[in-house]
Amino acid sequence: MAKPAARIAVLQFGFAVAVVAVLGRAAQVQIIQRERWAGEAERQRTVRAVLPARRGAIYDRNGVPLAITQEFYHVGVAPNELEDIRTGFVLLVRSLGVSAPALDREFQARKRWIYHHGPFNATQVQPLRGVKGIHLDGDFRRFYPSRDLARPIIGGIDPDRSSGAAGLELSLDSILTGRPGEAVFLKDRAGRRYDSPSRVVREPVAGNDVVLTLDAELQEIAEQGLDDALGQLKAEGGDVVFLDPATGELLALASRQTAPGERPRASTFTDPFEPGSTAKLFTAAALLTHRRVDSTDAVFAENGHWEMPVNSAGRTRAIHDAHASKGKLTLAQAVRVSSNIAMAKFASRLKPEEQFEVLRDFGFGTPTAAEFPSESRGRLARPDRWQPMYTRTSMAMGYEIGVTPVQLAAAYAAIANGGVLLAPTLVKEVRDPAGTLLYRHRPEPVRRVISSEVAARLREFLREAVGEGGTGGRGQLSNYALLGKTGTAKRFAGGRYVEGEYTASFAALFPADHPQLAVIVKIDNPKGSYYGGLTAAPVTRTMLQQALASRRVAIDRGRFAARDSTPEEEPKSISAPAGKPAVVIPWPTRLDQPSVSPLPVPSVAGRTVREAALALHRRGFRVSLQGIGRVVRTQPEAGESARPGTSVVVYAE
Amino acid sequence: MRLKGRHWMVIWLLIFLCVLVAITTRQTAGFRTARRVRELREERLALEARRADLERRIRVASSRQVLVPVAERLLGLHEPSDSEFVLFVLPASGPGKR
Repeated sequence: MAKPAARIAVLQFGFAVAVVAVLGRAAQVQIIQRERWAGEAERQRTVRAVLPARRGAIYDRNGVPLAITQEFYHVGVAPNELEDIRTGFVLLVRSLGVSAPALDREFQARKRWIYHHGPFNATQVQPLRGVKGIHLDGDFRRFYPSRDLARPIIGGIDPDRSSGAAGLELSLDSILTGRPGEAVFLKDRAGRRYDSPSRVVREPVAGNDVVLTLDAELQEIAEQGLDDALGQLKAEGGDVVFLDPATGELLALASRQTAPGERPRASTFTDPFEPGSTAKLFTAAALLTHRRVDSTDAVFAENGHWEMPVNSAGRTRAIHDAHASKGKLTLAQAVRVSSNIAMAKFASRLKPEEQFEVLRDFGFGTPTAAEFPSESRGRLARPDRWQPMYTRTSMAMGYEIGVTPVQLAAAYAAIANGGVLLAPTLVKEVRDPAGTLLYRHRPEPVRRVISSEVAARLREFLREAVGEGGTGGRGQLSNYALLGKTGTAKRFAGGRYVEGEYTASFAALFPADHPQLAVIVKIDNPKGSYYGGLTAAPVTRTMLQQALASRRVAIDRGRFAARDSTPEEEPKSISAPAGKPAVVIPWPTRLDQPSVSPLPVPSVAGRTVREAALALHRRGFRVSLQGIGRVVRTQPEAGESARPGTSVVVYAE
Repeated sequence: MRLKGRHWMVIWLLIFLCVLVAITTRQTAGFRTARRVRELREERLALEARRADLERRIRVASSRQVLVPVAERLLGLHEPSDSEFVLFVLPASGPGKR
């Protein structure tokens, strides 16, 4: 047996070896394999989770929420975890409003997990929080507080991807979508999660809020008015547009489709229609702009029926007037009584390119570029595809051209605006989650379509069209005058015009002096009285009366002129120098100012006429097209100096 | 007095226990704070949901669709035509004006 000292030395050596081994292993684990074991520990004790970001809200122009995101919950119950099954049962029934017998059956079936998808809002699940055995699964959901108000315009969300699926929810998706965050939760061996103060790795950033130009009150008036009208007229559908002509802001857009099987859609943007007589004003604009008619020119109205000669072989085309006129009609009278025959005769003084150019300048045949997705461009055929002797006449009467209600409203707004076409818009402001302004809409002039003198003449035509003897008299209010034009067009379906089916419309500017609203009302296939003057015009009047009576609709009533107040200044002759436009905007009204210095005409040879027109418009020039296709040359030539506002002739082949 | 080995052991043990208590207390306080933050957040969500619901109900109740028929039926009112109301233009205010 060894001596005690030797035994102690052996034990000490053994102990030292053990300590060194432990320290060595600790060094290996803590220093050499540190990352591996740290990761392993983190995986065992923590769980990473994505924190969803709240989607931005959509408001109307007065702050009324139209689409908001709220946290909703799904509820899971583990009966064997409940401390008191009876209390849990009562709590679930009272809080969630689920059927007591149904829940009882689930409890009786001794299910290990009872799931109620809901979704339940935070108020409903509040009493259930912290109850052992009841598990809440939170999720953001889109909520539309104003129910169906402007729903085809606002659109919806794809529930699987939480992103926009239609309407403004789709087109503004990148603005509304936030940036998700990330968090780390502590968990125990049973997988239970624990909150930790330092759990958030990256805070979620909510999406931006969007303030629309829509006015919820006016939208309600428009939708209700359209519903009432469709019910009374037994029509298949209709559209209403309210637009602020001074800014291009769309204030209300109502669409209805009543035919069986049709789903609600924003037909104000997507469905072009033949406008009929509401488009006569644009042919009148072309005639005045190209000085093919003066105030004394008159044509014989053929007593309401005309066999228009089509070719030298004696072929004719029958044109009728709904309101037969005897004798001769001036252009103003032709618009007032909506004479197809007179307009067809006047239009024959225009070259197809001239007629096309003015229609194109008013924005027909191209999307308005409002923020709505899948907007239709309408239909406007190039002049080289027109049928000789047919299309020009048809277009003068509002046929063979397809316009959307929004395009028509924007075009009428240009007439209210002194001839400047503004881009219509649906977005007024964008704000970040803290409320900081990121974007505010400013009026965006597209181009000057007609001179301010021609616009003033057209407004006078509209004044007469709703005056005594005009077709739109039923749209007129008692005390506050409006300007307007009716339209009634045969409906085109299945490749032909359907006998007895019509599209009735009314385009109005309100009030008559310094208009604040451009209104389009369109009724599809009304039964009984189908003329625009008998259907769409009274609907417009009712809506305007309601808008006037409502304190919440933003109309500047202080600017109203009573109907018997001083009328607008008499328009000067169209050859007179341009006057001050009705709206002050940086472009292109400055083109009328003589102080603007000349600019070189840009070289646009080889480009398409569209690109050339865009480039010239951006420099402030007016564009006159000669031909379609690629640009060959311009007059003035590229590089020559010309004042902004000068008409540049673009020759294309 | 010279500290012996057992004293050192006790001192180290006490230091270890103090550190342990400090860590546990801090972690407990952290968990409690996190739970309180979560509860407050849930309370805020519940209140927001309640407010949104009330706002929606107020909006529906005060909408034209609900209000106009009620006013017509119970009070005998009707939508005014433009000849039935008068707009008063307020005098401009500002320097030099009354």
